Amino acid sequence: MRGVVQVAAALSLAASVMLAGTVVEAVKVKSLDGIKCGADLIRKNAKFTKVAVYPQTTVQMNDKKANELNKDAKAKLVDVAAFTDGKSVALIVRWPDKTKDVFDCYCSDKYPDGFAVQFASDASNPEKLPYIGMGSDGRPVAIYIRKAYGTIYEPNGDGNVEFQVNPHNVNAFGEDLKKFEKEVEKRGLKTYQRAFVSEGFRSMTEIKDDSAKFRTDMHYVEKNGGMWGGLVVRPIEDEYAKPAKGEYAVAVAVWDGKELQRDGLKRLSGWIAVKLPGGDHAQLEKVVTEQVQGDVNKGQELAMTNCASCHRWKGAEMAPKYMAPDLSNIGGQATAAYIKESIVDPNAVIVPGYNRNAHPNFSWYMVDENGNRTSAMPPFNYLKPEEINDLTAYMQTLKAEVEK
Amino acid sequence: MSKRQLAMVMDLNKCIGCQTCTVACKTQWTNRNGREYMYWNNVETYPGEGYPKKWMELGGGFDAAGDLQPGIIPNIEADYGVPWDYNYDSLAEQNLLSDDPTPACRPDQSPTWGPNWDEDQGAGNFPNDNYFFYLPRICNHCSNPGCLSACPRDAIFKREEDGVVLVDLDRCQGYRYCIAGCPYKKIYFNPKISKSEKCILCFPRIEQGLPPACAQSCVGRIRFVGFLDDEESQVYKLVHKYKVAIPLRPDYGTQPNVYYIPPTEAPPKFDSEGRIIEGSSRVPIEELEKLFGPAVHDAIKTIKAEKEKRKKTGESELMDILIAYQHKDMFRLDHNYYVEVAKKKGMKPMPLVDERYVAGKYTKPSSISHFKVHA
Repeated sequence: MRGVVQVAAALSLAASVMLAGTVVEAVKVKSLDGIKCGADLIRKNAKFTKVAVYPQTTVQMNDKKANELNKDAKAKLVDVAAFTDGKSVALIVRWPDKTKDVFDCYCSDKYPDGFAVQFASDASNPEKLPYIGMGSDGRPVAIYIRKAYGTIYEPNGDGNVEFQVNPHNVNAFGEDLKKFEKEVEKRGLKTYQRAFVSEGFRSMTEIKDDSAKFRTDMHYVEKNGGMWGGLVVRPIEDEYAKPAKGEYAVAVAVWDGKELQRDGLKRLSGWIAVKLPGGDHAQLEKVVTEQVQGDVNKGQELAMTNCASCHRWKGAEMAPKYMAPDLSNIGGQATAAYIKESIVDPNAVIVPGYNRNAHPNFSWYMVDENGNRTSAMPPFNYLKPEEINDLTAYMQTLKAEVEK
Repeated sequence: MSKRQLAMVMDLNKCIGCQTCTVACKTQWTNRNGREYMYWNNVETYPGEGYPKKWMELGGGFDAAGDLQPGIIPNIEADYGVPWDYNYDSLAEQNLLSDDPTPACRPDQSPTWGPNWDEDQGAGNFPNDNYFFYLPRICNHCSNPGCLSACPRDAIFKREEDGVVLVDLDRCQGYRYCIAGCPYKKIYFNPKISKSEKCILCFPRIEQGLPPACAQSCVGRIRFVGFLDDEESQVYKLVHKYKVAIPLRPDYGTQPNVYYIPPTEAPPKFDSEGRIIEGSSRVPIEELEKLFGPAVHDAIKTIKAEKEKRKKTGESELMDILIAYQHKDMFRLDHNYYVEVAKKKGMKPMPLVDERYVAGKYTKPSSISHFKVHA
């Protein structure tokens, strides 16, 4: 019986793998000026690829209710398409969400739906892409986020302190007071769309000097059980990201407000190769689609003896809780190249992990006086190549089931 | 851990629950721009539900191993209370003949909860053993802050010069893990700007030589402010010399820097005949131990002993401090130190607006110049 269940699980896994893709072909259009969600241009021309987004489980945050709601979170399939008009590139994301959660209330414990598109700043060496979770030291990413906030008041966005006092404290009455309040609104209210640069989580920094030219849109439709559409338009090339040989390494993330998701509590894809028309591009595609052929059973044994004393994943929960990154969804988010690299050279990418004050007994890395980090994980470069293959093949099976 | 630590001591024997501190704080910082529901300073009745409701049961803080504990983010309507307004407009415009014949000032909504909803209720049976006391609370500016540890964006920092814990609003993205991480629930979400905000220990006032608004406005003179390494400061004497000022819920593991003189002066209980039970105290020691940990026993002993000493000999430094004769002795803000810090950072020091509270480890009284206060 157990064998049958395993075979069934393997089949459903295989089915989801076949359904989900990691390559998106950008469609050339005349102009992306003024493009919005639901535009005819998108409806008629978009070539959507189904991309699986997996729950981020590398670290677990400290919100009790959110953790309870996301305990058994499944992966979702997201439609991703891309356009270019020669100047700009547009990423279109469409994902199922049964409830439209917009934050427009005077409340403290609600969260909006949202999405983000992450571009590797430099994808010229696909074997060494940035860490999927917001980049890594020396491997930056540019991130564009749009969230379904009603409107957000940006205090002191323009440094005008005089418009931040309580209306009662303003020397104005009647019509003048109304004018003041209108002016406050005009200066303060913004759409929640932000661009960030990041070299690993915790380092994410908002680009506030207008040097990131981008536009976003987000729209909900009730049909098919509810679905969000979102788009990000940015220049083909700027100081934050540029294509390598006509390809971008892109990842998408979606947040579900109903599940109290925000920040790292989200669903995240692995690296997707977005191919611009023309150009020679097989390199990135090869890396993001690589499925290692290896003995998964042997890989599992190797993982239990070599990895499970520090790392946890679904089915291997012996290690102390905060000791090392949780690997439950590594197969959904990391490329085979990244997994191999991390096994033989853990210092190549050091995941910053928890705030170092939150779990002081478990440092994921040491820092020397120059700020250089050394991973607490020893290199497993003594494993034989076929063992690393088997281990990687097993790691690639570690991912949440895709929601039906 | 910061280089120096500014701390506050609150004397619970003297808090009368007048909320002057609350109002001073509110009008200074939280009456606008999405902060309306927040009370960076609040005074709650203990025992009681507290603010936000049942905050001690909402998690956060650290366990014995030092791991940050998960917590729950309170709801504005149910746990904090929505700030309501009154029907001023309809009162002004109403027609007394045709409209409501009994005009009255009423809330513009039907509130179901708010801060101090259960004010002065307390516990026990009247008149035999009922009791309560007031518990004023601000951010504890902890040495091991739960909020800071929970932030996935490193948006919360502890100032190196005085240990004040602050939110960097440029970095904050409103994820609210800090609220779950703070066991005192003294960091709040501003829904209008979608960022977290908290008590700043009035650092802009302190840098100009003024004590925090809550402390200066306190009519019971229960609040002392000074640096913990300044042996002349009354804060130092209460916390380190006499060890009568102790932190609230030290078991949360955040190492708070607001200290409390536990309420030692409660009236005795009555027996069923209404006679005084000699030697009894209405405030159960178990409750105090829950709030302040085992150190509360020694603190109470010291206070009682010093009180006796004062009665017998007329002398007691501790009693003199607790009487709180002079604001200038209660607040030692070490102005020269802040001037030096600003200079080192290449910033312009804040101009001094009041010279009475400038003394400190690095600021000798002789440096006080033209503004003389009569002793």
